[in-house]
Amino acid sequence: MTESRIEKKGPPSDAPKNDKRRKFLLAAAGGIGVAWAGAAAYPVYKYLAPQPVPDPFGEEGKAVVDKITPADVANPGMGKNGGYASRGLIVLRNGEGELKAFDSKCTHAGCNVQFQGNVIHCNCHGGEYDLTGKNISGPPPKPLTELKVFVENGALYVSPMEPQQKG
Amino acid sequence: MDYKQNHIPADAEAVLPDADTRMGRFYRALLKRYPIWPVIQFFLGKKVPEHKHSAWYMLGGIALFFFVIQIITGILLMVYYKPGQPWQSVNRIVMEIPFGALIRSMHHWSANLMILTLFLHMFSTLFMKAYRAPREGTWITGFILLALVMLFGFSGYLLPWDDLSFFAVRIGVSEMEKVPVLGEFAAGLARGGPDVSMETIGRFYALHVVILPLLVLAFIGLHLLFIQIQGVSEPDSFAALPEDKKKYRNFFGDFMIGEVPVWLFMFGLLIALSAAMPRGLAAEANPMGAAPEGIKPEWYLLAPYQALKLFPGKLELVGMAMMGLAPLLVIALPFLDKEVPSGKRGITITRIAIGGLIGFLGMTIWGLLS
Repeated sequence: MTESRIEKKGPPSDAPKNDKRRKFLLAAAGGIGVAWAGAAAYPVYKYLAPQPVPDPFGEEGKAVVDKITPADVANPGMGKNGGYASRGLIVLRNGEGELKAFDSKCTHAGCNVQFQGNVIHCNCHGGEYDLTGKNISGPPPKPLTELKVFVENGALYVSPMEPQQKG
Repeated sequence: MDYKQNHIPADAEAVLPDADTRMGRFYRALLKRYPIWPVIQFFLGKKVPEHKHSAWYMLGGIALFFFVIQIITGILLMVYYKPGQPWQSVNRIVMEIPFGALIRSMHHWSANLMILTLFLHMFSTLFMKAYRAPREGTWITGFILLALVMLFGFSGYLLPWDDLSFFAVRIGVSEMEKVPVLGEFAAGLARGGPDVSMETIGRFYALHVVILPLLVLAFIGLHLLFIQIQGVSEPDSFAALPEDKKKYRNFFGDFMIGEVPVWLFMFGLLIALSAAMPRGLAAEANPMGAAPEGIKPEWYLLAPYQALKLFPGKLELVGMAMMGLAPLLVIALPFLDKEVPSGKRGITITRIAIGGLIGFLGMTIWGLLS
């Protein structure tokens, strides 16, 4: 019966030399192992990495509004929850008769907020925004993202706010 | 129980790193809390007989390696596979997802190599007569594993929902339907309707990704447990040697380390095959279209496929009955051949097994060429 390796305790006679070689071989094997694991992990990472999402506003720079018609926001004070490009949206007409649109994703934790007439409310943690999208109460750290909204051929469309129009 | 009173066994002390090193303290702390030294000692003492046929002992480990690859690539495929849009989602994996075609091809090739390895593993243990008492349990769990793995292949075949998968599964299930008494009932249950349809996908998907993996893991556990308890089987020629002539290697730290390069080679082979011969995706299944020309089962089903062709018309049932007998004989083998060391009967059985192997290979080649 061959002697079991783990039973061999204590260094052999030419220990210092062997110890150096042993350390070198272990380090080399470890290095090759790490390189191998990296090479195997790279395709797995690329496979799992999120795929690029198409621009929600498409090539024309606008997205059609879903579930809200111009009639829903015909008069001042009217507003409604709807959507665009698989995202939540609120369109409202304010006291001055101006159309406003906000991405309804709450800036606190990402729930979709709800249009409630004189306030925009988040049902998850009680955050509130006024009708200009400004955060006025509760946990939200910043205003809702505002979108440009317009009527074209009887349907509502949104497009990103141009930088100079902001604020 | 006061864990502080548990002392470290002397033979553990001899192996552990020194008590004043970080790892030494860590291992001692573990052993004080979980006194599992006897278990560790049991595994460290596991030995593999060393003789000219020792290389065959690696096949089980190679099959296990392919199974691990199947689990990893299978989980990755599940990330994008949608049973509601089977063909579209597989098409997306192949065409759009980076390395998706590679991962899918690896899943395909690893499945094939696993089945090939299992066949070789079965025949090597058969010819080394490792199935004899007291190892009937290992043989039978091994046979069940082979059957489960073939079911794995069959259920996975349907999931891409291309022309090939549709007709392959329709053929397979209609053969099942012909089995007297229970056939129709079982086929209906498998299909979820009178024909293979999208309904079938849900069933095969649940089977392929939950039920079969659990069963296979459980049977691998039993199979390995039996081997750990009974030790690796020794062929007659080795067992007959005087004790001082018998050579053994430690399984852990010696035999297993020797298997690592083999696994790495298999991994390389897998990548090479997947890159050179990627698994294709045919057109989406069309239940109204004609079956593709030259459609044939996977290589491991060619032998029964060819054999069934020899029994035309009503005789097919006779062929199926004969083929049903073969697995029963395989299971019964340890009870038909008990003698250790092998006598006349054992030799006869080996000859019959060689005949069976030649017949299987012959039928496979015939099926391939016809």
